[in-house]
Amino acid sequence: MKISRIGAWLTLAIVATFYIVPMLAMTRFAFQRVPVIKLSWGNVFQKWTIQPIIDSFGSPDFQRAASLSIMLAIATALATIAVLLPTMTFAHLGSPRTRRLIEISAVLPFVVPAIALVVGFAGAFRDTLPILIRSSFGLVPLYVITALPFTHRTLENGLAALDIRTLVNASRSLGASWWRTIAFVIAPNMRASIATASFLAFTVVLGEFTIASLLLKNTLPLYLSYAQGSNPQGTFGLGIVLVVISTVFVAMSNRFGKKVRT
Amino acid sequence: MRQQHNSNTAPSSRFGTRLRGFAALAIVGAMALSACGSDAEDEASEEVTEDTVAEVVADDSCPSAELLDAANAEGQVNLIALPDNWANYKGILASFREKYPNIVNPVANPDASSADELVAYETLQGQPTQPDAFDVSPAIAQETASKGYWEPYKPCSWDEIPDVLKDPDGNWVAAYYGIMAIGTNTTVVTNAPASFADLTKPEYKGLVSLNGDPRQSGAAFAAVVAATLANGGSFDDIMPGIQYFADLKASGNLAGTDVTEASVIAGETPVWLDWTYNYPGLAPTLVENGITWAIRVPTDGVYGGYYAQGVLKDTPHQNAGKLWIDHIISDEGALGYLEGGAIPARFEALVASGKVTDEAKANLPAPELIAQIKFPSQDQIAKMKEALAASWGPMVADK
Amino acid sequence: MAGSSKRRARHLVFLPYVAFLAIFLGWPGLYVFRSAFAKGTAERSPMIEAVTGQFRGSFVFSLQLSFISASIGAVIGALVAVAVVRLDTVRGLRSTVVGYSAVAANMGGIPLAFAFLAAFGMQGLATRLLREINVDIIGWGFRISDFWGIVLVYLYFQIPLMTLVLVPALDGLRRTWAEAAQSLGASSAQYWRLVALPILTPALLGGFLLLVANAFAAYATAFALSSGGSRLVPVQIRFFLQGDTITGKTNLGYALAAWMVIITALLVTGFQLLMRRAERWRR
Repeated sequence: MKISRIGAWLTLAIVATFYIVPMLAMTRFAFQRVPVIKLSWGNVFQKWTIQPIIDSFGSPDFQRAASLSIMLAIATALATIAVLLPTMTFAHLGSPRTRRLIEISAVLPFVVPAIALVVGFAGAFRDTLPILIRSSFGLVPLYVITALPFTHRTLENGLAALDIRTLVNASRSLGASWWRTIAFVIAPNMRASIATASFLAFTVVLGEFTIASLLLKNTLPLYLSYAQGSNPQGTFGLGIVLVVISTVFVAMSNRFGKKVRT
Repeated sequence: MRQQHNSNTAPSSRFGTRLRGFAALAIVGAMALSACGSDAEDEASEEVTEDTVAEVVADDSCPSAELLDAANAEGQVNLIALPDNWANYKGILASFREKYPNIVNPVANPDASSADELVAYETLQGQPTQPDAFDVSPAIAQETASKGYWEPYKPCSWDEIPDVLKDPDGNWVAAYYGIMAIGTNTTVVTNAPASFADLTKPEYKGLVSLNGDPRQSGAAFAAVVAATLANGGSFDDIMPGIQYFADLKASGNLAGTDVTEASVIAGETPVWLDWTYNYPGLAPTLVENGITWAIRVPTDGVYGGYYAQGVLKDTPHQNAGKLWIDHIISDEGALGYLEGGAIPARFEALVASGKVTDEAKANLPAPELIAQIKFPSQDQIAKMKEALAASWGPMVADK
Repeated sequence: MAGSSKRRARHLVFLPYVAFLAIFLGWPGLYVFRSAFAKGTAERSPMIEAVTGQFRGSFVFSLQLSFISASIGAVIGALVAVAVVRLDTVRGLRSTVVGYSAVAANMGGIPLAFAFLAAFGMQGLATRLLREINVDIIGWGFRISDFWGIVLVYLYFQIPLMTLVLVPALDGLRRTWAEAAQSLGASSAQYWRLVALPILTPALLGGFLLLVANAFAAYATAFALSSGGSRLVPVQIRFFLQGDTITGKTNLGYALAAWMVIITALLVTGFQLLMRRAERWRR
């Protein structure tokens, strides 16, 4: 296992540069009022301002879009757990074949790209169940499906680490119903996976553009792409801030997950 | 006439409210169609009187009392694709709110192309956010008409609008027009091109941009038509324009990215084609960023283009929509467009009545250029649109 | 009797899940295919038109972009994953890398496209910095809107995706196996070749497939790089579906979508089979 630590650090440093440079460029664009062509080592620290972000955060459009996205993210996370946890628990209790079938079904969303999914969804339900298209929360099932491959695998990892059969048998023999078993016995043992799956659902929803764009729902990613037309510097500044916040958020939740696991 | 709004069917259900709305609409519609045609109007702004005084209408007093009432009852007009910096829509939206404080005018998706507006109308059918009024390119205006989506409405001062700037059936009006110009970020490119011929020079390699895809964006479509005129084509034959851009792309002069405010500020699109009225709005931000710029109307191809505005059928706020159209044609609206550097439809009438100050004219292109403007007919637009749809992809976009 | 009804009851618990997938995945999919085969007023089936002429070029372009960005992304992503696991003991490093990967993997669209424009465009920050050390990428013909520019932008979300897939798999490589191999006299190269790589193969192949499908389906970023990306299939689907307004060929949009599904399905099955073989080798 002779991977040198130096090699590892070097790799990470090089890749990190690739990641930071565009973000840095966008930050400079958003907050500095000097055209690149006039940029020199002399004026690199001049003319920085955070005014555009303050305007952006205060904009009612942004606040509406942000609250919609957050609500959709929470709804998606809850719906994912509600649909997947019981199903996967039963799958683990059943035959390996059932488990395999569920695994394959969780990969199906890959086969249908988002653009195909949303045009099919719009066409299929436009005349039959228009409420799904009218309500912003009609996005939730689509988001659950989009996140399915990742959330499924995360929960699968969590379940595989437990001895489901024993837990379920013990719980049932003590008289608990199926619901109580899943909610109070299985779930607490999978806190890390559930947390990770929820956060994955969150990042998917907060970054999802295609479906919201075609169904014309005003989510945060859509707001970012619209607002940059009239207030580019403010909007991209906002974008950077959101990236930083999301990263911190997910990183912290990861540590939370790790702690609980041990 | 006011009673129908205090109708005795205390409707708490949405169906009841809709019924009330339809009743109001029907009556207002009937009145508007008959009243606006004739000159029997009363002063609309502050007081609503029950008398109908037969008076020759002064130009911006037309919106009838019924229309005002109905619009105020609706309280909102859904607009789309009206960027703040486009022909001073920021000012025009604000003056609407000032005039009618009870009506909000939210603008969805300010950067939408004309084609996007049509999609939004269709997608949001039956939803409260469906756009009530459009501001679209002539090509999309035709598309809208062929699908039967326009709600015909002749705003006040209809007669003062030149024939070429309105649809004879009242489907739409063209509240403003401008000229296609070449903008240059002179901080990046010191030698501003002044003609389409200039744009082909090797010094502009990778520097020229369009405002979108001409099959979807009115501004890009106009740029192609302007190029057509510059290269020996005419409104009947858009191929020279398409060929021009195909060559421009082949030589590498046409950049791969569309021009947006962001790309202009970033200096990525230093030379771009856009309407004359889109530049004044950019000015403050450019100055703040230390960028200088120059605008030249191409000497070889002067193309003036308009956008069509109108009310749409079966939308949530029909009356407020009509009021909006009235507003943009009215003096306040026209002066707003002037401030933004666009030429309002009723320009002649406004100048004649002395409402246009020299200051207001400052943002306009030179009068000799305005005099050269000729608009293509609806048929010519239709043919150009078809030719573009067929050839732009294979010749330019997909290369 | 009791046994079979019990089994049926047990299978009934999967009904909500299956119904959910059927309604929200199956039905839209069926709609796409049904519309794709509807001829309408055209002379030939949209399915055929969708793969001829300029569209064939689009599919080829999309697939080239997908495979190349997936290959490069998979390699670099794997290296990052290995590095992160190796430095497991550094506090906070792993969570930061995994955290940023989760965010970056979902990035795209206009913000990402613009960030790259701001960095590597004609007036980009990086372009400018490179010029200071006499490296003129613009002079070399690099353009963000060209093929390699788009690949670069796609890598931004491809690499983290691979990292996210591989890190858990690397965790599964028990330390004990490495120690056992060492005590049996294997060199580190042999360990990797004969022990680690075969175990990781399913994850590596699966990750690669994921990246290909991800790039193929990418819409937001393609849309944002629109002048360059309009040759990509997802953008063309949207164009034809609002397309009623411009070309009257709505069903062509559905046909393009249907072909996307078919191609992706082929990719998925192909790699599932490959992975099955790799797993069999493992056992």
